[in-house]
Amino acid sequence: MKRSFASVVSGLAVLITLLVTLGFSTTPAKATTTYQIGTDVTFPPFEFANKQNKYVGIDMDLMRAIAKDQGFKVNIKPVGFNAAVQAVQSGQLDGVIAGMSITKEREATFDFSKPYFTSGVVMAVQPKGSVTKLSQLRGKKVAVKTGTSGADYAKSIQKKYGFKIVTFDDSNNMYEDVMTGNSAACFEDSPVMQYGIKQGTKLKIVTKPAESGSYGFAVQKGKNQKLLKLFNKGLADLKANGTYDKITQKYLGTTKSSDSASDRSIIGLLKQNKSALISGFEETLWLTIVAIFFATLFGVLVGLMGVVPSKFMNGVSTTLIYVFRGLPLLVLALFIYTGIPSLTGQKIPAFVAGIITLMFNEGAYIAAFVKGGINAVDSGQMEAARSLGLPFGKAMRRIILPQGIRIMIPSFINQFIITLKDTSILSIIGILELTQTGKIIIARNLEGFKVWSIIAVIYLVIITLLTWLSNWVQRRTRL
Amino acid sequence: MSTKVKVTDLIKTYGDNEVLKGINLSVENNEVVVVIGPSGSGKSTFLRTLNKLEEPTSGSIIIDDMDIADSKTDINKVRENIGMVFQHFNLFNNLSVGENIMLAPVELKKENKAEAAEQAKKLLATVGLESKFDATVQSLSGGQQQRVAIARALAMNPDVMLFDEPTSALDPEMVGDVLEVMKNLAQQGMTMIVVTHEMGFAKEVADRVVFVDDGNIQEQGTPDEIFNHPQNPRLQDFLNKVLNV
Ligand SMILES: Nc1ncnc2c1ncn2[C@@H]1O[C@H](COP(=O)(O)OP(=O)(O)OP(=O)(O)O)[C@@H](O)[C@H]1O
Ligand SMILES: [Mg+2]
Repeated sequence: MKRSFASVVSGLAVLITLLVTLGFSTTPAKATTTYQIGTDVTFPPFEFANKQNKYVGIDMDLMRAIAKDQGFKVNIKPVGFNAAVQAVQSGQLDGVIAGMSITKEREATFDFSKPYFTSGVVMAVQPKGSVTKLSQLRGKKVAVKTGTSGADYAKSIQKKYGFKIVTFDDSNNMYEDVMTGNSAACFEDSPVMQYGIKQGTKLKIVTKPAESGSYGFAVQKGKNQKLLKLFNKGLADLKANGTYDKITQKYLGTTKSSDSASDRSIIGLLKQNKSALISGFEETLWLTIVAIFFATLFGVLVGLMGVVPSKFMNGVSTTLIYVFRGLPLLVLALFIYTGIPSLTGQKIPAFVAGIITLMFNEGAYIAAFVKGGINAVDSGQMEAARSLGLPFGKAMRRIILPQGIRIMIPSFINQFIITLKDTSILSIIGILELTQTGKIIIARNLEGFKVWSIIAVIYLVIITLLTWLSNWVQRRTRL
Repeated sequence: MSTKVKVTDLIKTYGDNEVLKGINLSVENNEVVVVIGPSGSGKSTFLRTLNKLEEPTSGSIIIDDMDIADSKTDINKVRENIGMVFQHFNLFNNLSVGENIMLAPVELKKENKAEAAEQAKKLLATVGLESKFDATVQSLSGGQQQRVAIARALAMNPDVMLFDEPTSALDPEMVGDVLEVMKNLAQQGMTMIVVTHEMGFAKEVADRVVFVDDGNIQEQGTPDEIFNHPQNPRLQDFLNKVLNV
């Protein structure tokens, strides 16, 4: 029994090392003239992926124009705001530009460039509505988005003006609420609101920016001073030669963008976002396949540990199933994505973190029904095999597993479909799969309903394909 | 005559429940021993400790000079020489009739498939089922399944055969065929330990009948002694019940 325990442990170890090396080997080498710049995944109009899946926006265009002006190269890494900030602090990235406000606290750990943008909270209302002033909000509802400076601002003046606050998770829904007249107004960062209107949101800005703050480009305190100087010099040049205005006008100007004028039918949206949707689809499919592979390995291993004649192994199996089935997938994903690096000191790629998450979670479910399937095989089968002199392992392989697997097949198919759906939860750690792709497209064009319809249909198509495939396999394995 | 199986002071407990309370029994080469006794008396448990499907709690079991209670004995090797036939047949549902019989010889003796198939067909012929080599287990009647199970147990050329109520799960018209096969086996000199409620079979085939009640051997002797001159009141009581229904 000792030997089989060791082999199980080493099997697990190999599995995890394989996953981790798979991820780390893809980190590109650093070129001398190229700076690694971190940014947010999506924060329009400062940074967002365009139809060609290229990162654009005020921050992006400024950064590239400055690099060109000053003769250096940049490699943009849209890793998410928090990850970018941490990576700069630890020296893994050279700088961060992500609509980052210059604050006293941040100046303790970062050196900031000269402010390159001044923002502030504005109030937006229906273009033909009667409400145009804060004082008219008494007794009415006001829409805000969670965690934004607009929400903080609304709270700070709520008592004074006597309105009710309705909170949304997403800008698109917040705008909708005002456009349909449910809420009288919303509070939003001025550039974000301007950009939304430019994209076709039917709202009007009626106040001057309040609580204004300045955005700056940041490097680790005391490091990369050369880059900081280049940024400041470049920024001054762009302001002097008019490029700066051109860039901000492009995203904030009152002229409607070509994007908003373009076809907003479902077919039109499909055409415009074809490449983003295809790569999201591929990422989801790839995540699903790799996750199913590792989850099946893990699940079968742990399931078998649950049926071998060893109390210790049975206990390990039960515990693993209990823990990983008990943890919500979202919590497990965040724990692995941020927890493992804090243990090993090395950042783990989101894709690998996602696969490990699914391997443990889906694997625990697989282990449970593998165990159940084996136990469902009549105990007389094992006794008959053992009475002939077959060792446990041979009896398992030749007699019990073939019968157990037939019992398990429907559960496997079910679990594969669940795995596919669960990949969408991994959008939380920034993996650019289908759901995250949808969020990003909507952040750009604010067509929530239509884009989610497209995404839903794509999921259904994949699930149908997966079900057909499984049924085909099931027919093939039946004698 | 040499001793094939020697059981000494065999005790088996499940938790607080002492099921076997110190059994002593020797079975000689070529002997047919039939074990009878009321339900729950420990007959199956006794049979199953003989090939260690149940771990004995204490005592010794020597088969072919090997102590199977000793953890150093390779139990898989010992089991190859002990065939077992179960009440519910326990044929492998995922294998055909032929594969059921060939499995152990191919896996354990590394016989090649063709030889093993040849032998399987011969064994099927001896149990009257030569045409069923390719049949699925599910397509057989209970009586046919039990005869295949006997053929499967014989495929490893065991020198002892254990039968645990081989006919109790069968429809009455199937019982005769299975008993016939067992009778032939006895006539060929197989050492057999048979738990059964078939008193006719015991009278006709047994060299010795052993009456077990309450985890102990209460009385043993020739069929004539046991059935015509029972001494123990429990045995008399038991025979009254089973013979006069
Ligand atoms: N795995 C087990 N765990 C606990 N108790 C058991 C186990 N197997 C058998 N027993 C108990 O041991 C006793 C003897 O059972 P056993 O099956 O040996 O009787 P039997 O003589 O074969 O009866 P029958 O004629 O009904 O088959 C019974 O009281 C039974 O409940
Ligand atoms: Mg019994």
